Amino acid sequence: MRKNESITGTFDWPLFIVFLMIMFFGLATVYSVAYDPEHSSIFSFSEKYGKQVMWISIALFLGMLVFLIDSDIYRNFAIPIYAFVVVLLVIVLFMPKINGARAWLGIGSMGIQPAEFAKIGTAILLAKYLSIMNIKQQTTQSVLIALGIVLIPMGLILLQPDAGTFVVFTAFIFVLYREGVTFDPIVLLLINLIPGIKFKKTWVGTHFIPIAFVTIFLCVLTLIISKDPYTLDLFPGEEFSGYWRMFIALFIVSLVGFIIMRIIFPKREKNRAALIALIAFVLSTILTATVNVVFEKLASHQKERIELALGIFDDPTGKVKDGADYNRNRAMAAVGSGGFAGKGYRNGFVSSVKTNHVPESETDFIFCPWAEEWGFLGSLVLVCLYLFMMLRIIVIAERQRSSFNRIYAYSVAVILFYHFAINVGMNIGLAPIIGIPLPFFSYGGSSMMSFSIMLFILLKLDSQRRDVLN
Amino acid sequence: MNFDSRKYVIVAFFVLTGVLYAIKLFYMQVVDDSWKLRAQQIAEHRREITPPRAVVFDRNGLKVVENKTYYNLMMVEADVSEDMDTMAFAELIGWTKQEIIDRYKQIVKGEGTYTDPFTKKVTKNYQDVRAYPFIKELTADEMAKIAPHLENFKGFYEEVASMRNYPYANGANILGYLSEATREEVDEDPFYRPGDKIGRAGIERYYEDEFRGSKGVKYIVRSARLNAVASFEDGKYDTTAMQGDPIHLGLDINLQDYGEQLLQNKKGCIVAIDPKTGEILALVSAPSFDPNLLVGNKKIRRNYPALLEDLNKPLFPRPLASEYMPGSTFKLLQSLIGMQEGVITKDSGFPCNKGVVGCHNHPSAQNVTQAVKMSCNPYYYAVARRIIQQGKDKSSFKDSEIGLQVWADYMHSFGLGVKLDTDITGLRAGNIPDPAYYDRWRGKGTWKFSAIQSISIGQGEVQLTPLQLANVAAIMANRGWYYTPHFVKSIGNNGPLDKYRKKNYTMVDAKHFPPVIEGMRGCVHDAGGTARLARIDGLTMCGKTGTVENYYRGVKQKNHSVFIAFAPMDDPKIAIAVFIENAGGGGGTWAAPTASLMIEQYLYGEIKSTAKEKRILDAKLSNWEE
Repeated sequence: MRKNESITGTFDWPLFIVFLMIMFFGLATVYSVAYDPEHSSIFSFSEKYGKQVMWISIALFLGMLVFLIDSDIYRNFAIPIYAFVVVLLVIVLFMPKINGARAWLGIGSMGIQPAEFAKIGTAILLAKYLSIMNIKQQTTQSVLIALGIVLIPMGLILLQPDAGTFVVFTAFIFVLYREGVTFDPIVLLLINLIPGIKFKKTWVGTHFIPIAFVTIFLCVLTLIISKDPYTLDLFPGEEFSGYWRMFIALFIVSLVGFIIMRIIFPKREKNRAALIALIAFVLSTILTATVNVVFEKLASHQKERIELALGIFDDPTGKVKDGADYNRNRAMAAVGSGGFAGKGYRNGFVSSVKTNHVPESETDFIFCPWAEEWGFLGSLVLVCLYLFMMLRIIVIAERQRSSFNRIYAYSVAVILFYHFAINVGMNIGLAPIIGIPLPFFSYGGSSMMSFSIMLFILLKLDSQRRDVLN
Repeated sequence: MNFDSRKYVIVAFFVLTGVLYAIKLFYMQVVDDSWKLRAQQIAEHRREITPPRAVVFDRNGLKVVENKTYYNLMMVEADVSEDMDTMAFAELIGWTKQEIIDRYKQIVKGEGTYTDPFTKKVTKNYQDVRAYPFIKELTADEMAKIAPHLENFKGFYEEVASMRNYPYANGANILGYLSEATREEVDEDPFYRPGDKIGRAGIERYYEDEFRGSKGVKYIVRSARLNAVASFEDGKYDTTAMQGDPIHLGLDINLQDYGEQLLQNKKGCIVAIDPKTGEILALVSAPSFDPNLLVGNKKIRRNYPALLEDLNKPLFPRPLASEYMPGSTFKLLQSLIGMQEGVITKDSGFPCNKGVVGCHNHPSAQNVTQAVKMSCNPYYYAVARRIIQQGKDKSSFKDSEIGLQVWADYMHSFGLGVKLDTDITGLRAGNIPDPAYYDRWRGKGTWKFSAIQSISIGQGEVQLTPLQLANVAAIMANRGWYYTPHFVKSIGNNGPLDKYRKKNYTMVDAKHFPPVIEGMRGCVHDAGGTARLARIDGLTMCGKTGTVENYYRGVKQKNHSVFIAFAPMDDPKIAIAVFIENAGGGGGTWAAPTASLMIEQYLYGEIKSTAKEKRILDAKLSNWEE
């Protein structure tokens, strides 16, 4: 073991600076949204911004503590840490309900949400388990254990119930995918039940995760963009089925994919590119067309339910569905009204807490005030900051010698991605309304502390990456 | 298998999401304007402020119409707590539980709907976060009982509303009333919003534009609960609501009140005009009603049907719309026209030949003045015959046609047979028959004077409204001209409408008036005059009675009692017409003393002859429907 010459020597400054920037913008937005002229100081602890200052301070202090602890502790105490958060998740189920869920542990407003910290514990144990698991020889048992590590906290969270965090836990599937955990053992178990079949491995099992994702993605996309028939100026009077949009999009994507593959594939595999593109195009067309037809055949109330869940609506005036789809409609109005350069700091009024058009505009819908006040420029800056943060973490992950470190880093990246994608997505009508915070940005102690701890563990692991070999 | 390349899949996924979001944000925030409009709809709100309607003063500066504060009990359903004690609430507002439930359903189905102005499609628009008036138009007293307890019933609160109030319960048919603008009126005039009040009758309707003032506009930022949060852009675009200038009436409210008292238990009219200005001093329609009965939807709903169905027709503005035969008062005009046409002189005498037309016993009139004073029917039969059959054509039929046209033109110049341009709605023209009228009725060339002779004494086809009759009195007072009678003396400080500043001259020269007026004086003051009961000590009054025979469904009814007058003779300050339906007796019996009381009240402010007053007040006349 070799000691660092200095603590900061291998410290990843870019990640840390982006983290601070997002935190600062978030605080500024909370201040704008919750501004109370009677307590205008940002340190007014009676107001949300004062509390947020406190949460940030605590989070930075905890981060510093984490950074002082040797990173070996996570490797060595992975199981106790995991067990601890699971116990917390069980205890919280016996707490009184707050806003319809038993999610809070503690007294009054100073409580914490164990679910936020469960992500860390799960990430650590998953990293520990996958790093010692023989990836080359996966068994049914090893796959089930890996899944179980994720599913146990997920189940407990569903009991609270906290649908948002539950969804976020599916992010770990990306990690399994990255580490090569396949579902082959399970798929084989099922397939080999058929007499006469004795496969060693299956394509579906190996690529189960991306296939499942693409399938779900295509289904959802079909429902979203195939909904309304449209007309073209070129052919006046003709009404085209909305599905043509999907078809044309698939064709273009396949064509672009084909051209890219032609360029990057070695010469002898050029024909394979054409085949892949063709098969992908045909299969996805069959899938989406089927989904479209089935959806059209559904009863109208079933359709409506699906549309609502997916956030499909074509009612920008809000007359019809303002009741049912109130939050999204208001949120999108706030974001959309920001314009190119925004209405100016503290000039947003749709998303202001005072007008209360956008509910939870300091927590789940905090992207609204930001986008309304800073416009497209601000929105783009924030999207870029998050994108940079996630990609930076991938870079960090890939430079680790230890697979434990890498797996943990990937967990952090995909969890951040989920939060970012769902939170921003629901503000712009691209994701269903799921109440989860925007990391480092939203008001709230638990999320601020848990994300900071998660990030500082990563920074610590990264700073000690040369010390470890496995 | 090499899983290392899978990192590109994840990276690609991150980047694609970022790019997709950036594109969508660009589209929403920069390209597509619909969300900006939506945001405006949601949060920026143009709130119209309706000013209170203009107040009304009488000629002496007494406030006749004012605005009174009322209260609406508002409800925001979303704020009403689930465990509200409905029974306690019912007790508080004095309703039953069922009534509360019914009212709620009524709001959802009524105020909570939206009718598309173009397609007329009614859609549900009830929102539980929006405030709806649960009980409308509570008085301050009623609200005072409820308000202290409202804190126990979240979701209910009081809101101030302005409504009309009439400190004097008089002049209902003049002032008119307000009710909510109809859907058509809202569509037609962008000024009105559903629920706005609009003038329904009387001057409230005629001067609607002046009464309503101009609305103010306040741009506000609105909260999700639709409450104002802040003014938009610090009120840069706001305008203030302007109440209409006060309306000053020529009406003397005390005189109006007195007139209404005099006509209690009678059907009839009193119209008094200031002849020098044409301002209407009083316009009594009996029976009448308290204008406060028609204030606000609640009272209108309760009282209007009863008023409408009342057989004595209190809503009918008799002085404006009731067409009566003028009787002998018409003889004044025949005298004037005869002299102007040169078919008689002031010294022409005609025998009282009862063979032609009935008359009462009196010596034959030797001149116009005596004829007026004695109201001799045969005399005027002769005068009218000379006017209408002047011998301009050999055929007496043709001659009558020419003569009647001349006669009708004279009458029109007195404002008869035409609608006066008075500032109120509901006026009628009366009837002055002209050749076309009889041609239509009897056939061209089939009639001559003998067939239409009853018009000479103001019977038959001649019909006048009491307002027109009062105007005739004003013309007599002015010796030949009149200002169109009008109610509004001044809008703010701007004086009356232009059309009331122009003198209208009759076709009769001023020089022909003195003998007729002398006859009118004689009616009141000389022995043998028909209107002796109208005398007032120390005042020279000129008047003319009328006794109108009338039939109802072919059955002869008691005579109408008519009297017109002006006073003082040399400096007329008041011209008046009184018309009492089916009073019995002659014009001098009931109408003349009533007019004299009005004149005395107006000129002196007090009544000396209490016996005369009591006789009129106590009289129960007319075919009264109980």
